[in-house]
Amino acid sequence: MLLALAIATAVSFRVSAQGGGARPPDIAGEWRLDSNEDPGQPPLADYLGLALNEAGRLRADTTPESIWGTPEYQCRPHSAPHQWRGVGGARILKDLDPISREIVGYRVQFMRSLDRPIFVDGRPHPPAWAPHSWSGFSTGEWIGQTLKVTTTHLKDGYLRRGGPQTSDMLTMTEYITRHDDVLSILQVVDDPIYLDEPYVLSITYTYDPNAGPATENCSGSSFAENGGRDRHWVPHFLPGQNSGIGEFLKTQSWIPFEPIRGGVKTIYPEYRAVLAKSATVNTLTVPVSKTANDVARRIADQSPRDGQVHVMPVQGNVYILIADGTNITASVGRDGIAIVNTGSAQMTDKVLAALTELARSVVSPPATNTCFGANCPGMPSWSSPYFNAVVASPRPARPIRYIINTSAAPEHVGGNEKLAASANFRRAGGAGGFGSAVREIGTAATIVAHDGVLTAMSTPANRAAAAPEAAWPVDTFFDAFYKLSEYVNGEPVILYHAKAANTDGDSFVFFRHSEVIAAGNLFSTISYPLVDTTNGGTIQGVIDGLNEILDLSVAEYRSQGGTWIVPGRGRLSDTADVASYRNMLVMIRDRIRDLKKQGKTLEQVKAARPTLDFDGRYGATTGPWTTNMFIEAVYKTL
Amino acid sequence: MRTLLLITIAAVLTASTSFAHHSFAATYETGKSITLEGSIVQFVYRNPHSFVHIDAPDASGVSQRWAIEWGGTTQLAAAGVKRDSLKVGDKVVISGRPSRVPGEYRVLMINLTRPSDGFTWGRGTNEVVD
Repeated sequence: MLLALAIATAVSFRVSAQGGGARPPDIAGEWRLDSNEDPGQPPLADYLGLALNEAGRLRADTTPESIWGTPEYQCRPHSAPHQWRGVGGARILKDLDPISREIVGYRVQFMRSLDRPIFVDGRPHPPAWAPHSWSGFSTGEWIGQTLKVTTTHLKDGYLRRGGPQTSDMLTMTEYITRHDDVLSILQVVDDPIYLDEPYVLSITYTYDPNAGPATENCSGSSFAENGGRDRHWVPHFLPGQNSGIGEFLKTQSWIPFEPIRGGVKTIYPEYRAVLAKSATVNTLTVPVSKTANDVARRIADQSPRDGQVHVMPVQGNVYILIADGTNITASVGRDGIAIVNTGSAQMTDKVLAALTELARSVVSPPATNTCFGANCPGMPSWSSPYFNAVVASPRPARPIRYIINTSAAPEHVGGNEKLAASANFRRAGGAGGFGSAVREIGTAATIVAHDGVLTAMSTPANRAAAAPEAAWPVDTFFDAFYKLSEYVNGEPVILYHAKAANTDGDSFVFFRHSEVIAAGNLFSTISYPLVDTTNGGTIQGVIDGLNEILDLSVAEYRSQGGTWIVPGRGRLSDTADVASYRNMLVMIRDRIRDLKKQGKTLEQVKAARPTLDFDGRYGATTGPWTTNMFIEAVYKTL
Repeated sequence: MRTLLLITIAAVLTASTSFAHHSFAATYETGKSITLEGSIVQFVYRNPHSFVHIDAPDASGVSQRWAIEWGGTTQLAAAGVKRDSLKVGDKVVISGRPSRVPGEYRVLMINLTRPSDGFTWGRGTNEVVD
């Protein structure tokens, strides 16, 4: 398959050499889709020519087209691998540097899409903990007359219509070449989660000034399509129950069944030996192309255990601190700092240093004096007496005011004691004033959590000693939600209890003006969720918690952005990402429930591999939370 | 000019078929049909496809809320179906293609009849959801 790619690249280099540094062609304009190797609506469950692995086949078999009808997906654009193949044409716009007038990027528009930026200004790809989008993050470089576009940070979607899916770890490389009025796109989709070798496809467009893509509006705010009775409904097939498998062979009976199920050995000419009955698929050897996508490393990089604190702005007042494998969400502003979780104990000094630096840069950034005279805001009198306060010695950042714990997990409460003690959030009246019965006022940050967290920290079941008292929550709640009694940095902060989820004390936190939710352990982009059955956790509780997050969240446009969700571990996400994770858990829950209903024992359920199509993305065979432990927890709590 | 207009209309109609964000054959069992008798609870008249929601019993006799996918506004208006043609509470009989997904109360419209006044759709020329 990659032979075509090699030839295309070689041709491009040759053109470059002959051109002697000629300017690259102008690819901007309106383009009409002429042809591609893939019909827009292929037959259902037709995997012919796809190098699906076992996981990819199961995922394709169990994911129905009506998943489009769920509220979180109704307005999504076509997924990136399919976008060039969709109807409606393409428009390519140039972004120019206004001073040099050099091309610094392109934007591609399709009928059902957000603008897809392609940066050619030399910027690197974002870190692994940055969010993924429907069009991903694309950079381009000209190789002779061919624009090579490399795309990462894509959401999960479909490889092509009718079943085959992609994970969110795919990478996509496109080679875009203009030949007079013909634009050819050679696309390489590299997704080892579901494919045994990269998928290569070519698409051809013709220049046509009248072919510009229309905008297809979306009125997908209802959940009418799936019956309108349950907004959390996740359509899916149990393994072996997809009625569409093999259906199209009724009218195309000349096609054998085996290759329509996909698989790398069925897509090479060597497969003819199987058709001739002189070989079997198992004994066949084919020249499989290797993936260049190190998925395991890229997943781990979303939550690196590197002993460092990485800071990324999110939205409004909110930032993420990625602290050695766990996320801390921080609201930083003129009122001080409110953090959700405190990281592990050994990271506390670095977390505090990062928070202090962040607060200083947010509240008192170094800046030139911009106001002169007797009437400058914040300067009572003439400006000159305050000069040093503005440019050289601004006021110190405000300390941590609130610590919120979403659970009692050590990686969430490890820094409680030290970070709370670091805060000296003075209030007039001193320790003897109103509220002195609460020990922390004026001397430490207030630690807030569900009562289950306090119970776990003060009377632990399996530890020799309780966490130190200074680390315990001092402000706890028992109800379904709890509002902080005052605005923090100009916005309400609300804690929602996720009942019987990862444990019996989990919460997630909503920063209501910044539109950011800290999901705690309910959501991870690098693992299956912890379900601690010994401490009251259930799979249904986790799913319910995710559904509540989805109910509160609103996508900005086309099922993307809007409310940002910070997972307990992993990359920054949005509504569609949480929906994807929820969908996976519902599929796994229903599979295990069905097996249990059939009378299967736990060992038999594990042997049936009910998580097979998600293990490459979220599973683990070693470490504190393995796939087998997850399956066992689901089994026990159904 | 008239020919050009017809071609343009044809192109728009063809394109609107392709614009559908999901495939009917992939979503519904196009070789099967079911008949539902129930009351309308909502009529969503919109593009790319309208939806009629009814309360009607399932195969086991339990009342369910069904979503019946219908044509877009352009197609329905051409057949005389307007935004106010159906009202909440109307008793209707609907035949359609059932969803492929077990447990999903979703149907692709074949035909609809309102016995109280004989209003019907799905038996005339071009009265097929596209």
